[in-house]
Amino acid sequence: MLFELIRLEFLKSFRSTAFAKSVMVAIFLGFLVIMLLGYLFMAGIFLNKILEAISEGKNTIEVLNAGLIFFFLVEFMYRYFLQKLPVIELESLLHLPISKRKIMHMLLGRSFFSPLSIIALMLFTPFAFMEIANLHGNSGAVYWLGTVVLLSWTLHWFMLWFKQRFEDSLIGVMIVFIILLLGGGSTYMGWFNLGEIVAPFFTFAMGSFIPMGVMLVFCMVGYYLAFHYYLNNAYLEDLAQEEEVRFVNQSVGFFSRFGMAGELANLEWKLIIRHKKSRSFLLLSAFFLLYGMIFYDNPQYNDTGAGGFSFMFIFVGVFITGIFMIQYGQLFLSWNSGYFDFFLNRKDGVKNLVRGKYLLLLSISLVCFLLSIPYVYFGWKFLFIHLATFLFNAGVLIHLIIYLALWKPKPMDLNKGAMFNYEGVGAAQFLMIIPMMVAPYIIYAPFALIFNSYVGLLALGAIGVLGILFFNKLTTININRVMKNRYEISSSFRQEL
Amino acid sequence: MIQVKDLKKQYKETVVLDVPLLEIPKSECFGLVGNNGAGKTTLFRIMLDLVRASQGKVEIDGKDVSKSEEWKRVTGAYLDEHMLLSYLTADEYFQTLRKIYGLSEADLQLHLFKFTEFFNDEIVGKKKYIRDLSKGNLKKVGIAAALMGNPEVVFLDEPFENLDPSSQIRLKKLILQEKQNSQVTFLISSHDLNHVTEICDRIVLLEKGKIINDLKDKSEMLTELDAYFTG
Repeated sequence: MLFELIRLEFLKSFRSTAFAKSVMVAIFLGFLVIMLLGYLFMAGIFLNKILEAISEGKNTIEVLNAGLIFFFLVEFMYRYFLQKLPVIELESLLHLPISKRKIMHMLLGRSFFSPLSIIALMLFTPFAFMEIANLHGNSGAVYWLGTVVLLSWTLHWFMLWFKQRFEDSLIGVMIVFIILLLGGGSTYMGWFNLGEIVAPFFTFAMGSFIPMGVMLVFCMVGYYLAFHYYLNNAYLEDLAQEEEVRFVNQSVGFFSRFGMAGELANLEWKLIIRHKKSRSFLLLSAFFLLYGMIFYDNPQYNDTGAGGFSFMFIFVGVFITGIFMIQYGQLFLSWNSGYFDFFLNRKDGVKNLVRGKYLLLLSISLVCFLLSIPYVYFGWKFLFIHLATFLFNAGVLIHLIIYLALWKPKPMDLNKGAMFNYEGVGAAQFLMIIPMMVAPYIIYAPFALIFNSYVGLLALGAIGVLGILFFNKLTTININRVMKNRYEISSSFRQEL
Repeated sequence: MIQVKDLKKQYKETVVLDVPLLEIPKSECFGLVGNNGAGKTTLFRIMLDLVRASQGKVEIDGKDVSKSEEWKRVTGAYLDEHMLLSYLTADEYFQTLRKIYGLSEADLQLHLFKFTEFFNDEIVGKKKYIRDLSKGNLKKVGIAAALMGNPEVVFLDEPFENLDPSSQIRLKKLILQEKQNSQVTFLISSHDLNHVTEICDRIVLLEKGKIINDLKDKSEMLTELDAYFTG
C-alpha cells in the first residue's frame, strides 16, 4: 500500500502541466544541493583546522562543544525558512480504506528525505572520527555524533509541527525572534553565554551514551508530536478553512488613478491580504527589511578601504527593496490561476491584469525603499545603495522576473487552507532567486572594479532609470508573451484544479 | 446499520446541523432532500468522518466513525470530484482502487461490466486524465468507484446532477439492482424530487440543519415534498 501511495505521488508530478518546469528546477536545485553538500563535507574535514585558526591555543573539542548550540539555533532558523511541509491531496484518499495513520507515516517519512537531514551528518562526522575518536575512543565518537545528529533530526520533526501549528500567527514569529535574540543577543550583549551553559551536555556525550539516548527519546517525541498533530487535523474543514472577510470595502486609494489597471491592482492587493499563502510573502518582506542589520554594521564587510564598500551590499540592497517582487513575482500568474478565464473574458483584461501587477509590485517595492531609509544611521552610502538597487529593481529586474515566471506557469489553489497544502516559501523559492541575483552584478561589477563602488552604483541606477523610461515598451513584451500563450496558460490552469 | 446520535455541527455561533437521532436500517434506500444550505452535504461529510462533529457521534455497524477506520472498507462514497485522483486516467484509477480494496482483475472486470451501458463507451479504455473529463463523466467515474469492493453502505451526493436523461434512468436502474442483489444501503441526497421519490424507501427533509419531516409512505412522498417546496 505504501508503495502504491508513493507511485501515485510520482505519477502526479510526472503528469503535472508544469512538469517541464519542475524538472528544470529540480535539476538546477539538485546541482546546487550537491555542490553545497560537497562544500559542507569539505568544511567538515577541515573543521579542526578552522577551529584551530579561530581560537588559537584552545582545545578544539571544547570550542566546538561550546559552539554547537549556536549551530542548532542557526539550524532552527534555516529550517524555519527553508523546510517545506509535506503536501498531499488528502480529499481524494480520506474516503478510501487506507488508514489515516499509514498516510501520515508516509507523508512524514517522505519529508525526512531531504538534504537538510544530512547537513549535521556531513559537517560533524569527519570531526567525530578524526578528533574525538582519538581522545575518547570510537564509542565516544559515535555517542557524540549520535547526539548531534539526533538533535538535528529532532528539530526536523519539531519544525513540521511548529510551522503548521503557528503558521500565519504572531506567536510563531515571536518565537522565531526570541530564538534569534537568544542566539545572537545572549553572547553578543553579554547577558549570559549560552554556549558555555550547554557545553557540558555535549562534553558528557563523548563519554556516555545517556545524552544520545535522551536525544533519541526527544526525536521520537518530536515525531509523535508531528504525527499526532497531522493525524488530528486530517479533516476537510482544515483543508478549506473559511476565513472571516477582512478589510471589507477598503481599497488603496492611490491605485484608483490608474484606471482599470489600478482597479486590478486593488483586487490583487485584496487577494494578497485575504490568503494565508500570500500574506506569508508579505510578512517575509517585512522580515527582510531587518536583513541589513546583519550586514551593514558588520566590520567584516565594512573594511574594504579606499572609500568603497563590500560587493555584498548590492545583494542586500536588492533583497531589501525587492524581496516581495522577487518572491511574489515568481508565481506571477499562478496567483490568479483559479479565475484566469475571468480576465480573458474582459476587454483588455489580461493587459490590465499584467499592468496592475506591475503597479502593485512597484508600489510595494517603493514602500520597502522608503521604510529602509533609516539605514542612513549606518552611513549615507546605504541610502545610495538602496536608491540604486530600487531603481534597478523597478527598471530592469521586475521585467526579468516576470519574463521568467511566464514560462509554463503552474496553477495554484489559493482557497485551500494551509494544512497539507503548504505551498508557501520553500528552499526552491529561495534558490531560484540566485540567477536573478546575478543580474545586478553584471552591471555593477565592471564599473566597480574599473573605477570604484560609487561609479558602479551610478551605472546600476542609470540602467534602472533607462528601464523606467522604457517601462511601457518593456511591459508590452511581457503582456504580449501572456497574450501569445493565453490558450496554453488558461487550459493548464483549468486542468489541475 | 447507521446511527446518528445527538449530532451537532457548529461554526462559531451558527448551528448548521442538529440531528438528535437518526437510524438507517440495512438495505434501506435513504433519501435526503432540502434547499441549498440545509446541511445535506455536511451531514454526509460528518457521517464519513471528513468533517468533525461538534457534538454527538455517527455509528456505522455499531462503531463510531471518528474512532476507528474499519468501516471504510464497507463504505463507498462519492460526494464531489475532489474524491478522485484527477491526474490518473479512469482505467488507472479503477486499477488503483482494485489494489486498495484487494480485488482480483476478474472482480474488477465484473464490476465494470455492470456499468457498460451507464458509461456509454466514454470512460473505459480512453486515454484521458480524469481532470479532463466532462462533469457528467466525472460523476460516472465517481459513482462506479463508490460502488467498488462490494460496499454495504454507499453515499451519493446529487448523483443525478450533470447526467444526461438516459444516464439518469440507467443510474436509477443500477441503484435498484444493487439494492436488490447485494442488500446495499444507499444514502442519496438530491434536488430531483421525481428521481429520489422513485428509488428511495424513505425520505428525510432537512431545513436549516434540522430534520423537519421523515417520510416513509411512498405514495404520499411526492405530494408532500411538492407542497413543501412550492410553499
